[in-house]
Amino acid sequence: MVTTTALAKATLLGVEMGMTLILITVGLTLIFGMMDVINFAHGSLYMLGAYFGFALTAQSGNFWLALLVVPLAVAVVGALIEIFALRPLYGRNPLYHILLTFGLAIIIQGLVTDIWGGQVRNISTPDALSGAIDLGLISYPTYRVFLLVVSTLIVVALWLAITRSNFGVLMRASAHDSEMVDALGVDVAKVFTAVFVLGSALAGLAGVLLGTARAVDPSMGAAVIIQAFAIVVIGGLGSFRGAVVGALVVGLLNAYGPMVAPSLTDTLIFVLMAVVLLLKPSGLFGQPEGV
Amino acid sequence: MVREAIPSEGASGGQNSQRNYHYRRRFLAGVGAAGSLALAGCTDSLGAGGSSAVKVGFVLPFSGTYSLLGESIENGFKLHVDDLGGEIDGTEVEYVKKDTGADTSTGVSITKEFIQKEQVDFLVGPVSSAVAAAMLPEVEKQASALWLNANSGNFKLVAEGCSKYHFRTAFNSWQTSAPLARFVMDNVADNVCVSYADYAFGQQSKTFFSEEFEKAGGTVVDEVAAPLGTSDYSSFLQEIENSGADAVYSFFAGGDAVNYVKQFSEFGLNDKMTQTGSGFLLSADTLPAQGEAALGMYSLLHYTPTKQSERNQAFVEAYRGAHDTAPNVYACQGYDAALAAEKAVTEAGGTDVEQLVDALSGAKIDSPRGNFRFNPKTNDPIHDLDVRKVVSADGGVTNEIVETLESVEGPTWNCSL
Repeated sequence: MVTTTALAKATLLGVEMGMTLILITVGLTLIFGMMDVINFAHGSLYMLGAYFGFALTAQSGNFWLALLVVPLAVAVVGALIEIFALRPLYGRNPLYHILLTFGLAIIIQGLVTDIWGGQVRNISTPDALSGAIDLGLISYPTYRVFLLVVSTLIVVALWLAITRSNFGVLMRASAHDSEMVDALGVDVAKVFTAVFVLGSALAGLAGVLLGTARAVDPSMGAAVIIQAFAIVVIGGLGSFRGAVVGALVVGLLNAYGPMVAPSLTDTLIFVLMAVVLLLKPSGLFGQPEGV
Repeated sequence: MVREAIPSEGASGGQNSQRNYHYRRRFLAGVGAAGSLALAGCTDSLGAGGSSAVKVGFVLPFSGTYSLLGESIENGFKLHVDDLGGEIDGTEVEYVKKDTGADTSTGVSITKEFIQKEQVDFLVGPVSSAVAAAMLPEVEKQASALWLNANSGNFKLVAEGCSKYHFRTAFNSWQTSAPLARFVMDNVADNVCVSYADYAFGQQSKTFFSEEFEKAGGTVVDEVAAPLGTSDYSSFLQEIENSGADAVYSFFAGGDAVNYVKQFSEFGLNDKMTQTGSGFLLSADTLPAQGEAALGMYSLLHYTPTKQSERNQAFVEAYRGAHDTAPNVYACQGYDAALAAEKAVTEAGGTDVEQLVDALSGAKIDSPRGNFRFNPKTNDPIHDLDVRKVVSADGGVTNEIVETLESVEGPTWNCSL
């Protein structure tokens, strides 16, 4: 029995889950689109964000401070990874990147387990955002409304930055033909670093934002990266639009799934991925050039 | 293969000559199969004199999702052996340990290696029920080590395995689910929705609870299965809400339990229905992360760190002294495995596996969870189960015992050892 209220709530849920997923998938797809690097450590950066957020809120009691500082801290980690680990490998077989980032993921997970232990943690929700808001037809947790608003703002800002700003033009140009951009006198290496740092910061932010609604444990990175890759493949590797649409579709699938076939919810995503790959191997929006 | 016989050879002047005759035959067969007397000579000739160590092999996860459980079990076990001065009945205790991860085949090869090469007297572990199921035939076949199962609760180990070498110092899946049904029926509601992590243990818990709840006259309104490792339960919670039930019974553990409970409260479900569940839903290792979201929820478990008994408080203090944190249920299960090992070796007067089995069958263990004994038919523990409610405590939340179900004797699934 599906009522209008239930359907409305599921839709809102789906959109919200999708929007928060975008924070993770956008970084993944931008990094691939620009540098052809499949970044397996992306989930670990997300986890690092959650743990930094946990440590900082536990210390200072201030969630807002964590929201501001943690993405910067994770961005620094991202910068270090790009400069010291990835950069020497550009231009080589992509397999090197996969091995490297996979190894980094394992190292980061090990370090986190050593420092914070295997115990499940959680960032406490700020008082201002606990409780629920009455949206007329349905009531919805305040924190999730906040998540929805924040992630939507970020996605819109990113979209504008990529399509309208000078840096966006540079990014798209480098993705399209980095040699030509280099020849025109732009330091492409700096653009690469900037994109990797941006992706890392977004993953860190997602870690703090979701660390309040979800369990923070060393396996959270590995759990999210699989779904994120599926989304990016559905949307088209390297496509910003694809990452956004893919995440929304998967979010809605996650929300409607349990109403129809709870035990198949996980499978549905991969069925969708298989269907998309069969019909359009480059993904929904995947043109090699398209950012 | 070879070694199983040797200690009994040495003890052949002893208590049970018929048994020893049987061993001697097996011993000869074993030597024949190994095809090498030299091997037999070098392995454990000292064991016969009783001067070699009691060897314990930890088959536990020390990496991955379950690493915390593995460490806790090891810590608990060693805490008791250290209390004894590192020896049982005058014999030094030696350890070997290997990481199973959550991998079934690794678990089996470690078991094989520990029994054949390391020649352990006791196997302690595993955490995962899948690993346990794979270990069982190996332990049974080798018949030379006693298995102290310190966590896997899969009832099929007894229902389908029924091995005399397998002793559970933990629990089985019936014990952490079914006995709560009567309590829920009498004190909470006569209709429930059941939600669970969709894998073997979750399904077993759900089935056992539902059967017992219906037997008590209650109605199971709806079932909601969520995949193991779900991070966002919101859409499943909506299904639970739509069921209109007055209470929910759930099985989730670890990170899943934190996600589920936090989101249950976030969506305001605790104003509409009462959450109950297996003790893993609301245990010492998840409560700090669940916080106030868990307030008012009921659960059932065989060990509660806040239990007010001298035995438990001494254990908690000792554990805290050694590891700077309160023990969880897994630490208690490891500790109890050490108690069982002590009892077995002391009573058997050595490490001959058949004598260890005899010594432990039906034995009473003075555990921090309360006294328990091994059911002589199944080697499962018969222990007290605590119904707990989450209440505020200074700076956080804690489980308060509201009722103790004494010496709960579960089904034996046609196992009769």
